[in-house]
Amino acid sequence: MEILKVEGISKHFGGVVAVEGFSMVQRDNQISGIIGPNGAGKTTVFNLITGATPVDRGRVLFMEQEITRFPAHRRADLGIARTFQNIRLFGNLTVLDNMKVAHDMKVRYTLWEEMLRLPRVRRQEKAIDEKARHFLAYLGLDSYADQKPQNLPYGIQRRLELARTLMTEPRIVLLDEPAAGLNPQEVRDLMATIRKIQEENALTIVIVEHHMELIMNICSLIHVLDFGKKIAEGEPEAIKKNEQVLQAYLGEEV
Amino acid sequence: MFYLKVLEITSLYTILVLGVYLMTGLTGLFSLGQGAFVSIGAYTAAIAYMRFGVPFPLALALAVLMGALLGFLVGIPTLRLRRDYFLLVTFGLSEMVRAGLLYLAQLTGGALGMAGMPRKVGLPLILGSIVVITFITYSLKRSRFGRDCIAIRDDELAASMVGINVYAHKMKVFIISSAITAYGGALYAFSILFIEPNIFNWLESAKLIIITFVGGLNSIAGVIAASVIYYSFGEFFRFIDVWRDVLLAVVVVLVIIFRPGGLFQGLSLLPSKLKAMRSGR
Amino acid sequence: MNWNILLQQIVNGISLGGVYALMAVGFGLIFNVLKFSNFSHGGVVTLTAYIGFFLSRYLVANFIITFLLTAVAGGLAAVVIERLVFRPIRRKGYPISMLIVNSITVAMLVQQFFAVTLGADYYTYPNFIKETALHLGNLTVSKIYLLMLGISAAVLGALTYVIQKTKIGIAIRAVSSDISTPSLMGVNVDFVISVAFFFSGVLGGITGYLLGMTFSVDPFIGSMILKGIIASIIGGMGSILGGVIAGLLLGAAESLLIGEIGAALTPMVIYGSIILLLLVRPQGIAGKITEVKA
Repeated sequence: MEILKVEGISKHFGGVVAVEGFSMVQRDNQISGIIGPNGAGKTTVFNLITGATPVDRGRVLFMEQEITRFPAHRRADLGIARTFQNIRLFGNLTVLDNMKVAHDMKVRYTLWEEMLRLPRVRRQEKAIDEKARHFLAYLGLDSYADQKPQNLPYGIQRRLELARTLMTEPRIVLLDEPAAGLNPQEVRDLMATIRKIQEENALTIVIVEHHMELIMNICSLIHVLDFGKKIAEGEPEAIKKNEQVLQAYLGEEV
Repeated sequence: MFYLKVLEITSLYTILVLGVYLMTGLTGLFSLGQGAFVSIGAYTAAIAYMRFGVPFPLALALAVLMGALLGFLVGIPTLRLRRDYFLLVTFGLSEMVRAGLLYLAQLTGGALGMAGMPRKVGLPLILGSIVVITFITYSLKRSRFGRDCIAIRDDELAASMVGINVYAHKMKVFIISSAITAYGGALYAFSILFIEPNIFNWLESAKLIIITFVGGLNSIAGVIAASVIYYSFGEFFRFIDVWRDVLLAVVVVLVIIFRPGGLFQGLSLLPSKLKAMRSGR
Repeated sequence: MNWNILLQQIVNGISLGGVYALMAVGFGLIFNVLKFSNFSHGGVVTLTAYIGFFLSRYLVANFIITFLLTAVAGGLAAVVIERLVFRPIRRKGYPISMLIVNSITVAMLVQQFFAVTLGADYYTYPNFIKETALHLGNLTVSKIYLLMLGISAAVLGALTYVIQKTKIGIAIRAVSSDISTPSLMGVNVDFVISVAFFFSGVLGGITGYLLGMTFSVDPFIGSMILKGIIASIIGGMGSILGGVIAGLLLGAAESLLIGEIGAALTPMVIYGSIILLLLVRPQGIAGKITEVKA
């Protein structure tokens, strides 16, 4: 089943073309990748899909529903989750609260009940607390529950961002350069974690990355962007040998 | 007798500070227009009671409703604006309300203000109100509402990405804040017994923000402590009163630079042992 | 419709508008460089209004000398404020809200300080100009107003030249577009920021002097900064030209409105229009929409 379908989306900033006519289909239980030289528009594609930036042209469909004009928070509620290139955790909330916040849209008590701290509120808060701790433990982060994110090692923060996406009850997870800044061992751990998350939660995942080893190893389908346009799409083996792809990367200053 | 008066004034202002806490402390919305809501609350209650013979409790309720309504109306266009613009627009709001009050002189008494309100509000009501408002603020802070406020303050984009409807949430915060502030204004009218369009200018609004920062953005107790100290200080030490604001300014600058979490940042309403017990650890 | 009166009002308004433009630019400079609303600018205006007064009453009653001295004093005051109050926050990487709070605090500090020490009296500048009005055809133009307009124009012209053509101007523009990269190219960012504050303070000093000269000096004169902020926003935060146009427009509009509907309703119309404007065109006349980087 088509979880995500993007048809010809484009975005211009002033005179600069960020993304032009990009299309892709993401199916159930898939791990795909989007690669391309720096500035190719990869993060912009994610922004367009999640609604952080509105499209100039094109359509975005999620679970066969058109969400092109939906605001970002509504798309998150529908089941689109993402991580960021530069880690965006909430610095003034504890790790545990960072997790809880991601689940808040699903909460079922009202503002009045909240103000009076009725039993219904306390019960749901307890349930959220348990769920948050569960997912922290799932990714081995439970010992950090009461700390603030900025005190944690970089690799741990990255893992926390991943864990946070699980709290949103997603159908699709978009990972924006999850391996950035990680050492080789951490990258291997990351690959194992991504596989585990995908299998055990029946998720479909799209990854934007520069790290070739990661992409080639866990993605079954790869899209290649250059200057905002898609120049290739296919399985890892085919992409590795693709003339245009090699050109695009060699053409880039190292 | 004097001490009671001081306590009264301090508590009134503390209610206003609490009104600002949710908005500015937790959510990061800076408003220099709290004066508008104080005035709306004060005048609504006073006019309802004095000119239309509305019973006092109802007059109070009306004031709160007007505050919330104004907050809603103002919020619709302005909460989407960036922080600096919001600050300016709220300042302008203050001026607009002041101009409006002067203009509608037959109803409001114009520049002469309104006097002659009976003393319906005493210390018990004020203190009781503080307890209730603190309870509500604390409950909100502990649950989803508070988390979302802080998340929005930290990173609006990321907040929307995890499903928070930022605009709707800001609206809720602003309405609650406005209601509390208007309530404070109504209490003011019936305890100080004289109101005029200038009672609460931009400077007073700025002080509310500043006290919130000094007290600690994440600490309700800290904010209350800061407010109590500031407002009672001026009453107790008359010779300092004149220099009070200058002193406050210096303290604030120092606090922000050296202790940005606030002077009382660690202060908690409940002692930490009690907190730990509640979370069952 | 008495066109004469209308024209008169517009002319009066434009002169004041020139001062609004000065404030808008002074405010906008800092907004460009540090990306926050610097309310302490109002404090600088108040401070220099007093300084100008004391200089001209007790030092020498010469317009040019006291004017220049006050302008420089403004610049220095702004630099001191930046060093003491803003730089430590910048250094420690605190969020912008802290800068805003501190700038409000400084404005409050200045206002309250003067309210406490000198607030009781109004101070008026000595009369520099003998005959106070000029007659152009049917219009009576106050010489003081003409002076304000002339000075504002000259100063803004000079500033534009500096920003566009000099090395330091280019450095300021570089830092405005990206605060970290210029340091990689050997630009001393702290120095550039100090210079920007100096310029902003000079504008503030000129504003304070002109305002003090035209009206009288009191602790609350700095709240005129609000008009400057409004002009800055209408013109597009960060655009000098926009700020100038908006300042002049605001001055003229305000003057017209006060003449037609009175001083009570005028604020409501002005603020109402601004809210509308911000809804429809949040970037103002000449500003740019900035996207948040994800």
